[in-house]
Amino acid sequence: MKISYSHLVSQIKENPSIEMISESLFQLGHEHEIDGDILNMELTPNRGDCLSVNGLLRDLAVFYTINLKEKIYSKKIDKLQLDFENLSQNICPKISFLKIEIDKVPKEYNKYLNDYFIKLNLNKNNFFTDVSNYLSYETGQPTHCYDANKINGKLVLQELEINQEFHTLLDKKITLSDKNSFFSINDEVVNLAGVVGGKSTACSRETKTVLVECAFFEPEAIIGKSLKYDIQSEASHKFERFVDPESHEYVIRRFINIVSEHSNIKEMSFISYEYKKKQAIKIPVNVDKINQILGIDIKEDQYVNYLSKLGFSINDNMINVPSYRSDISSQNDLSEEVARIIGYDNISKHKLPLVKVKTSNTDSIENKLRFFLIDHGFYEVINFPFSDEKCIDSIKIDNSLDSNKEYMRTNLINSLLENLAFNERRQKDSIKLFEISDVYTFKNNKIKKKRNLGIVASGRVGHNHKDFSKKINKKYLTNLFKDALPSEDFAIKIFNRDGLNSKIKNEIVGCEIDIENFSTEVLNYREETRPPSSFKKFSQISDLPFSSRDLSFSIKDFSSRQNLEKYILGYENELLKEKFIFDYFYNENSAEIKIGFRFIFQSVNSTITETEVNNVMNDIIRHTEKIKGVTIPGLK
Amino acid sequence: MSSNKDILPPEIIKDKGAIHPINHMKDSIMNLLVSLGFEIIDGPEIETEEFNFDMLNIKKTHPARQMHDTFYVENKSNLLRTHTSPVQIRGMLEKSPPLAFISGGKVYRKDDDATHLPMFHQIEGILVDENVSFAQLKDLIYRIVHSLFGEDIKLRFRPSYFPFTEPSAEVDILSTEGKWIEILGCGLVNPVVLENCNIDSNKLSGLAFGLGIERIAMLKHDMNDIREFYKSNLDFLGQFK
Repeated sequence: MKISYSHLVSQIKENPSIEMISESLFQLGHEHEIDGDILNMELTPNRGDCLSVNGLLRDLAVFYTINLKEKIYSKKIDKLQLDFENLSQNICPKISFLKIEIDKVPKEYNKYLNDYFIKLNLNKNNFFTDVSNYLSYETGQPTHCYDANKINGKLVLQELEINQEFHTLLDKKITLSDKNSFFSINDEVVNLAGVVGGKSTACSRETKTVLVECAFFEPEAIIGKSLKYDIQSEASHKFERFVDPESHEYVIRRFINIVSEHSNIKEMSFISYEYKKKQAIKIPVNVDKINQILGIDIKEDQYVNYLSKLGFSINDNMINVPSYRSDISSQNDLSEEVARIIGYDNISKHKLPLVKVKTSNTDSIENKLRFFLIDHGFYEVINFPFSDEKCIDSIKIDNSLDSNKEYMRTNLINSLLENLAFNERRQKDSIKLFEISDVYTFKNNKIKKKRNLGIVASGRVGHNHKDFSKKINKKYLTNLFKDALPSEDFAIKIFNRDGLNSKIKNEIVGCEIDIENFSTEVLNYREETRPPSSFKKFSQISDLPFSSRDLSFSIKDFSSRQNLEKYILGYENELLKEKFIFDYFYNENSAEIKIGFRFIFQSVNSTITETEVNNVMNDIIRHTEKIKGVTIPGLK
Repeated sequence: MSSNKDILPPEIIKDKGAIHPINHMKDSIMNLLVSLGFEIIDGPEIETEEFNFDMLNIKKTHPARQMHDTFYVENKSNLLRTHTSPVQIRGMLEKSPPLAFISGGKVYRKDDDATHLPMFHQIEGILVDENVSFAQLKDLIYRIVHSLFGEDIKLRFRPSYFPFTEPSAEVDILSTEGKWIEILGCGLVNPVVLENCNIDSNKLSGLAFGLGIERIAMLKHDMNDIREFYKSNLDFLGQFK
C-alpha cells in the first residue's frame, strides 16, 4: 500500500524527515520501501488498522506529536428512509448509509484532494468515487457509492450460493459461483460485498445524488474473493484484514465535510444498522507479566504511558483495547506493543539455560547408508514428490501446479531415472545417484508413509585407469554392496530404458528399499567420508556441450613418469574441467610405460571451439615434449 | 635413477560422491542445535488442517489456508505441510514440559517461480519451560546465528507476525555488501498454542524459531538461484564434496 510521506508529515508536529519516519516505522514493524515521496508499505496481515494515513499516524504517535487536522461535519443529520434488508447479519453486523444530493458536480478539487491523485499517481473516476477512495486512504474504511437514482428497488444484502453473471464497475464481466456475499436489487447483483461494485448502479461524472454504503464485513466473508475473480480491490484487502467497526459515524461525517468543501449539499440523510455490537476487549494491567514475557524491567507508569500513546485507555486497572486493534487480546499481544516501542534490538539478551547433550544425528541407519553410498561414488539427490503417474495407491493433489504434477510419487526410482537421463543428456558417462525420502500412498482411506532408499547407476565404473573401460552392471553393483555390507540384500535390478529421454544404451541398475528393511548391522559400517567441514563457494555451471581429448605417452625413462603425471594432473586452465589417467600399461619386454590422459573441456560462456581446445592441448604437448624419455607416439 | 615405484600403476583415487548440499546444511544446523540441548523429533509431510493450521492458531481466514497457497490432497482431507511447525504440536502433545525439540524437513507451498519452489526445507525449534522470555530467545538466536555465520556477523531483530508466536520477530544479518538479509523467524510461543497442546500457559511459556535451509545454504555457498538445488546435475552436486 502506498502512503505519501507529505500526507503523514503534515500532521506531525516535529516535522521529521522521511528517513526518520522510515526508521520509526521500521522499529514498529512496518516494512516498507521508499520511492521519492512515497512509502510502499508491506504491512503484516494482522495490522489492517494501519492501512491508511490515520492508521500509521496512530502508531507513529508513540514517537511524535500528532495533530489530526481533518474536519468532520458536526451537525445533526436527518434520518435516512431506506428500503434495505440485511439477510446475512452474521457476516455484516454493522452497516451505515448516507444519502447526499449536491446541486453541482465540482469541476476542480481542493488542493488536498487533488494532491492525493497526483502524489499517488492515481486516475480520477467521478466525484463521489474519488471522495470515497480518498477517504479509504485517509481513514482505512472503504465506502461504496451507488448512484441513488439508479436504485430502483429494495437493496438486499445476503450471503448464499449463486451462479450469476456480474458486470463490475471496472467494466469486467465475471461469473459469480459458489458462496458469495452480495447486494442485490430485484434479484440482480449490484455489488459484490466488500470487493467491487456493479456497473448498473455505479456513479458517473453526472451523478449528483449518491448513496454511500459504509459497512463492517467479517473477514471470513470477503477473503479469497478478489483472487478468485481476479479483481484488484483495495477495499477487499482492507476488509480481509479487519476494519474498525466503530468508525462509521466519523467516516460518514468526514465524507459530508469533504463533499461540502466542494459543492453545495441540497439534502442529506443517514442511517446506521447495528445488529450485533462487537465486544470491547479488556485486559488486566499486569506489568510484571509484561516484564516476565520480555525479560525487561519497566515500571507500571512507563507501561501505561506507552499504551496510552497507542490509543489504549486504562480504567479500574483494566486496559481497554481500541476498536481498531483486532490483533490485541492477550498479555503477550500487549508485550509485543511494549517491545515495538522499546525497539526489539534494545532489549538485552539473557542467557538461556540449556542442558548440552553430546549426541549426533549421524548415528542412524539412514545416515550410515548415506555415507556408505558416498564412499562408493554415489551422489545424493533430492527430488520434488510430484508426478503425473497415477497408481492404484497414488495420492491425488486437489490443486496441483499443473497436470504433470497431479499425484504424489509412490516410488523414488522414476525420479532417479529422470535424473540419470538428465545427466546422460549432459554427456556424463559415469552416473551414480541415490535419494532417501518419504513416499506416501493412500489405501483404505488412510495415508501410509514409508521411508525409502532409491539407487540408480549406469555408465563407466569410474574415471581411473582401472575402471574406465568397465561398465556398471548388475553384477558389479551387487558385488560392490555385498563386499561392503554383507548382511544386507540390496536386490539390485536392471531397469528398462523405455520412455527415458536419452540416447545412451548403457545398462541401468539400482534398487529401491524401505529403510526399515535394513538391519542394525549397517551401523557397524565405518564410513571413510566425513561431511565437508566448510561450505564451498558455488561455481557457475555450464549448460554448453563439452569436448574431450585423449593424449597417450610412451615413457622409456621411468624416472620421468612422476614429472609427467605431476605436470598434467596439476595443469590448470579455465576451460579444462577435468583430467584423469584413463589408461596405464607397463610392458616389461619393451621396458616401456604407456599412459593415457583424458582432458575434458567446457566453457561457461560459449560453446567451446576447436581452436580453444587445440591451444590448451598444444601448450600441454609443448611442455611434455621437453620431459626426458617421454614421447607422444604418432605425434607429427 | 628410476626405481620399482616408477613402474607401479598410478594410485587409484577412489571416486567419492557427495551429500546433497541441502542435507549437509540441514545436518550442520541440526547438529548445532542438538549440541545446544535440543532433541530431534520427526513428523509426517502429509498433515491435517488441524495440526498444520488450527492448533497453531492460524485462523480459517488466514491467507495461507487458501487453495492458492497450500496443496490439499484427496478432496481436502489432508494437505502437504506448509511448515514443520505441526511436528512441534505433535511433540508437545506427546511429551510433558520442560521440553526442547527441533524438527527439520521438507515443506510445501503452492509457488513455482525463479525465487520460490513448491518444495523447500525448514528447521524449526521449540522450547517450553518456566519463565521463558524474549530476552532469552534473543540469546539463543545470537548463539545460532554466530555459529552459522561467525561471531562478527551483525544481526537485527524486527517485529513481525506469525499466528503461533507472540511477540514475533524476524532476524536479518548484514551482508558484506551492506544489505540486511532475512534469515529466520522467531518469537515466544503464543499462549493459545500452548493451551491447544494442554500446556498451562499461566505456568509455562515457550520460545520458537524457524529457518529456511535453502536460504542459509545459498548464503553459505554464495548461490543466487534456488533451482540449482533440485536439478540433480552432477556438475552441481560434484562441487560439494
